[in-house]
Amino acid sequence: MFRYLMLAGLALFLPGLFALGYAVLEGPSAWMTDSRTFWGTPIALFVFWIGLAHAGTLLSAIFLALGIKLDRRTALIAELSTLVSLVFAGIFPLMHLGVVENFYMVAPFLDARGNFANVRSPLVWDFCCIVVYALLSLLFFTTHLKARVVPALDRYCKPMAWLLFPLVLWVHTVVSLDFATTFVPEWRGAFFPVYFIVGAILSGLALVNLLICAEGYRVRLMERLQLITSWILCAIWIWDLLFKGYFCTSAFIFAVLLPQFRMVAVIRESRAGRIFFSLSILLGLFLERFYLVSPLAGVPGEPGFGLVDLGLLAFSLGGFMMLFYAARSLLNESMEGAGTYFGEVDGSDMANVEESERSREKTHGLTLSYIQPWSSEEYKTLRLPLACGFSVALLFVLWVCAQLPFVGSPYENVEVILVNVLPLSYPVIAFVAALVLACKAVWVDKAVELGRNSYVALAVALVALAVLAGMFYAGGAASRPDAVIAEAPQYGSEIVDSAHVQFVWNARCAQCHGVDGRFNDKFIREYYPVPQKLDVARIDSLGLDSLVNVVLDGRVNMNPYRGRLTESEARALVVYMRSLAEAP
Amino acid sequence: MTPLLNAFACLLALGCASFLWRKGSSPYRNGALLAGFLLLFSVFTYFGASDTVVTDPSLEHYPFRMLALCLCFSTTSLGIYRRRYLVLAQALWCWVELFGAIALYYRGCDAACVRIAALAGITFGSTFLSQISREMEFCLMVFWMAVWVFF
Repeated sequence: MFRYLMLAGLALFLPGLFALGYAVLEGPSAWMTDSRTFWGTPIALFVFWIGLAHAGTLLSAIFLALGIKLDRRTALIAELSTLVSLVFAGIFPLMHLGVVENFYMVAPFLDARGNFANVRSPLVWDFCCIVVYALLSLLFFTTHLKARVVPALDRYCKPMAWLLFPLVLWVHTVVSLDFATTFVPEWRGAFFPVYFIVGAILSGLALVNLLICAEGYRVRLMERLQLITSWILCAIWIWDLLFKGYFCTSAFIFAVLLPQFRMVAVIRESRAGRIFFSLSILLGLFLERFYLVSPLAGVPGEPGFGLVDLGLLAFSLGGFMMLFYAARSLLNESMEGAGTYFGEVDGSDMANVEESERSREKTHGLTLSYIQPWSSEEYKTLRLPLACGFSVALLFVLWVCAQLPFVGSPYENVEVILVNVLPLSYPVIAFVAALVLACKAVWVDKAVELGRNSYVALAVALVALAVLAGMFYAGGAASRPDAVIAEAPQYGSEIVDSAHVQFVWNARCAQCHGVDGRFNDKFIREYYPVPQKLDVARIDSLGLDSLVNVVLDGRVNMNPYRGRLTESEARALVVYMRSLAEAP
Repeated sequence: MTPLLNAFACLLALGCASFLWRKGSSPYRNGALLAGFLLLFSVFTYFGASDTVVTDPSLEHYPFRMLALCLCFSTTSLGIYRRRYLVLAQALWCWVELFGAIALYYRGCDAACVRIAALAGITFGSTFLSQISREMEFCLMVFWMAVWVFF
């Protein structure tokens, strides 16, 4: 069955890959972008997939931390779905940047050219949170997977779960701040963190229910949770309606109204019915995110959901199915075992799971019971790693605050206060704490014996990391290599009329530079290091030819447009930009 | 929101809390109650606001703050795992306040630093509690009310 699902995924993935390639080459003009929020399909897909990526941690780590039993197979399926969803969630913000190759600029460290990431930007927060979440989820999944073979690893699952519990909420909170920190009327909402988390939990539950239904079994606990979460989300939407007068009817129908038919026993007990509920919720939440990101979608005169957007959706769906079922069939043997169910998993079965887990704990002498507070055991397994994490986070915050106002930096006048750096703090804490915990497991408690191959792999990974960090520090090329420029088509110097220049400016440049040439402040301040202002004096000092070269060949964060704009168009754009700078 | 209605909101949260997590209650009942309380708090905020909710950004997350307070109160009636859920409920309240404040700060509002610091402090302190006596529960409830009303 996995093979057929993989093939179905491939059928969606290949045309989607074509759309992705076209979109990356063409830039933001290729996909649907809301003319007011400057966000479009990639961000909607990012929010959708990052929500789905909560399934694993919610169902596995949070349940484990709170002592709610879940069979191992379901937990591992959920964790695997998290990892695969994260892959696709990570691709779309990079596309949205427009300057894909400069993605490392969102990493919060200084590079050799003096650029420092704009730590006030939620995108920088997103980058840190998602990277740490991905690493910790991978570590948690591996620990959980290997615990069956190496029972000593079991005792590290719970502390890891307690580290991941706040992290998963932190990640989606930071995603919600992408919206809530802006001035877009539809995105006003200091309640967005809770709203996004509830939405993410619902979509994560729907995904896991769908995946386990596809495998031919069910977990009633998750179906119940799915229904309950839909009620809470409905209450939040009603507050949104009272507060802003905004209500997404299609999302309400698919994500809240239709799943209520679960109360009808005939539908609930049918496998097709359960698949329908999960699909309905996923569709409803996708529509909700789509209309949230692009409130003007569907308004006459605004760009609509086109073929490229459909291709991007197909790319992510097909890619998810392919990657998930490839990994699932590869890890099939490790994911089965005691506590695995091939049929209905309901309340009575859970009692058997608990019994088998208890006997297993006795057999292996594991102590997974309540750890006394302030005991040396609690200190060593949880508080010490957390204390290390807090110390490093504190040093990081001090370092950031000391770096930014350094003399001579273009960010000399950028004001950074604790509020700007705070969202980065927990990912740092969790990362360091997990690292300490892993080191303790390997070298202090010797829970895992690392063989020679493991040490070699670790060394290679560290060297690769150092090389990557070095490359990031050095920064990317400021312009295209000569060979590429030489191969680019040459154009004549035809005359470009003013209406066409204005059209090109609005299509290609306004997203960053603003329609009036005075920067799209929202876009620039949130997503890039703050650039220099191009006033008349500066434009004149740089000169027309130099600026034409910048437009054609790119520079730092500026995309190269050679091949997409003619030289005459570039020249006309610079003149148009100067006229905008001259305007009062 | 007037100080009187703000204090009444605290009482409303306290009253609602007594219906949660009753012995033998099903997840459906508790889930429906949580959604219902959120709806009630939303309507209360909408009609109780002295200014309109559209013009007062501090009211954007008011119903969620009420729900978090309600959850804090409800943990005192738990039979088992009281420390765990007490810490979690306080962390949720702290979370709502902190990230609500960050969102509002970016839109030009001042953050309620004292409230956030008080909640962070009590949440951290609660992790050291091993036994939660009736007296300690009472102290915690008074503290939460004080944070709600005065900070």
